[in-house]
Amino acid sequence: MPVLNIVQAVKRALDEEMARDERVVVLGEDVGKRGGVFLATEGLYPKYGPDRVIDTPLSEAAIIGAAVGMAAHGLRPVAEIQFADYVFPGFDQLVSQAAKLRYRSGGQFSAPMVVRMPSGGGVKGGHHHSQSPEAYFAHTAGLKVVVPSTPTDTLGLLKSAIRDDDPVVFMEPKRLYRAIKEEVPDEEFTIPLGKARVRREGKDLTLIAYGGPTVEALEAADELEKAGVSAEVVDLRSLVPWDKEAVLESVAKTGRALVIAEAPRTASFASEVAATIMEELLDQLLAPVYRVTGFDTPYPYVPDRQYMPTVTRILNFAKKALDY
Amino acid sequence: MIKDTWRFQPFTEEPIRLIDEEGNWIAEFPLDLSEDELKKLYRDMVRGRLLDERYQIILRQGKTSFVAPSSGHEAAQAGMAMAVRPGFDWLFPYYRDKTLLAAIGYPVEMLYAQMMATRLDPNKGRQMPEHPGLKELNVYTVASPIASHVPPAVGAAISMKIQGTGQVVLTTFGDGATSEGDWHAALNFAGAQGAPIVFAAENNRYAISVNFEKQSGSPRIADKAHAYGFPGYHVDGMDVLASYYVAKEAIERAREGLGPSLVEFLVYRYGPHSSADDDRVYRSREEVEFWKKKDPIPRFERFLEKQGLWTPEEGERLREEIKAELLAAEKKAEDAGMVPPEWMFDDVYGTPYWLLEEERQILLSEL
Repeated sequence: MPVLNIVQAVKRALDEEMARDERVVVLGEDVGKRGGVFLATEGLYPKYGPDRVIDTPLSEAAIIGAAVGMAAHGLRPVAEIQFADYVFPGFDQLVSQAAKLRYRSGGQFSAPMVVRMPSGGGVKGGHHHSQSPEAYFAHTAGLKVVVPSTPTDTLGLLKSAIRDDDPVVFMEPKRLYRAIKEEVPDEEFTIPLGKARVRREGKDLTLIAYGGPTVEALEAADELEKAGVSAEVVDLRSLVPWDKEAVLESVAKTGRALVIAEAPRTASFASEVAATIMEELLDQLLAPVYRVTGFDTPYPYVPDRQYMPTVTRILNFAKKALDY
Repeated sequence: MIKDTWRFQPFTEEPIRLIDEEGNWIAEFPLDLSEDELKKLYRDMVRGRLLDERYQIILRQGKTSFVAPSSGHEAAQAGMAMAVRPGFDWLFPYYRDKTLLAAIGYPVEMLYAQMMATRLDPNKGRQMPEHPGLKELNVYTVASPIASHVPPAVGAAISMKIQGTGQVVLTTFGDGATSEGDWHAALNFAGAQGAPIVFAAENNRYAISVNFEKQSGSPRIADKAHAYGFPGYHVDGMDVLASYYVAKEAIERAREGLGPSLVEFLVYRYGPHSSADDDRVYRSREEVEFWKKKDPIPRFERFLEKQGLWTPEEGERLREEIKAELLAAEKKAEDAGMVPPEWMFDDVYGTPYWLLEEERQILLSEL
């Protein structure tokens, strides 16, 4: 089996889907000749040409807005936003146009499109190259939100996102782009949206995470094991739709949960998961569900790693839950 | 095939005009529309006016909650409607386009159904009034945020170009839209791509209450096309024939691969911005009266009369005929019954989501 990192998985997903379906086009700043600033579209331009790999003006509103119209007219556009931090000029297009097109037209029109964006910190980028803005999108009915954390999941989920009939915001944890490599099946496969994945089984505590911090969650689980605590790690993978069933099943078993995410805590997706667990499993909980998140500051430049939910922070909250 | 001559010059200081206020044909080329086509333009304008008036009545009757008056815009809209291929080309309209939509064949009972949110609305009553859309005729459902439909319009045009379909996009908006970032981003991208699209500004000189002088330092919207590398036409939008011929040429250019155009139609909005607006606080009655003397419908009647195609009696007969059609359409829309509240949960996504099922159950328990 070939060994891929996350960038290579993105590239393979795009290549396979473009080969399979000629309606699939890629558009964004630098996606053509340059192959994308992270090289996620490298090699597509020579293979599929300028009509299907479209270098656009530097305008997120134009990129996302045009993708909506292309999708309504029958294409399957995959737009690249260079950094999630730059999506905001295109926010109105996502929220007012893409998200509501199916709904406001009574199902007459739809926008089957993907907006890919590298997100999250840990790359010494300061607040304009590090944010995790997924909550804005998860808060918007009509958008789907996917955040993979491994090469295999990236490949399978991106292919599903491209085939999905609704707009999908696909957030790629950029600090993991080349940090994780794994064997990925050679044959074609997809992974359904809306299904979490148990990354590690355990019985004392559930660590729920998605995107970048799944790495720290797994590391924390290793540390806990050394201390005799068995932690289960659930990777949400999709935020909208999210896999409530898998989360409740795990927490019903362990009785304790931490929800771990890089985004700031206030009004976060972690809060949504934590609240749902407490509403549905109050009787079975042995401790409050804690949110272990980034801080409610703009993303800092110097204490780049300390801002994120570190292994230390996860272990401190795990202790709190275990000692409750 | 690319023509070596086009009729109209872009970037003129004075608006392009083909019939004068007295209804004389003043163009340098011969009129080549048939009697039926001229009558259709007239009928479309009158229907648009009467529909606008009727909407005011259903508003007072409490059958709808909002109206965006369009009286004064009829010539530009009827002209554009005859320049497109309905059901083949795509329209990305805005909320003041009832004359345009009825003229391309959008069933009037469906327009009414959208106004009243009844089951006959193909958009399932999901939006406030004046937000129609009809896939069958490639009419992209209207959205409220100003200019937000313009980037999608460009995307559809790029798709047409990539797929070589021969279709053209016509997108309309008011003067207010031309201040939005999305508008400029869209025109810029369309110019770079040479996309087959016509941007149509229905410039009624007011963004709600803010007059055009306060919206832009530029005297004309058409001039803005220069910066994006395509022609901008400045047109008397109260002249239905100028509106038709310029729109037609812009659409033909797009269809022949010559890329986008911006057409600015100078119109006037006789009513307030909306039924929630009082225009007396920002414009004088004298100004409104001045423009009412330039009403596009009597102006075209004077033209038709000179062509021997109109008499006051025929005009009256047509109005009565259209009024009866509108009343029948209104009744049909009303009889369809209101959209039920549980439709709220459909069409959020193309596939079921447990969360929405849970919420649907909450609602059903309350009904």
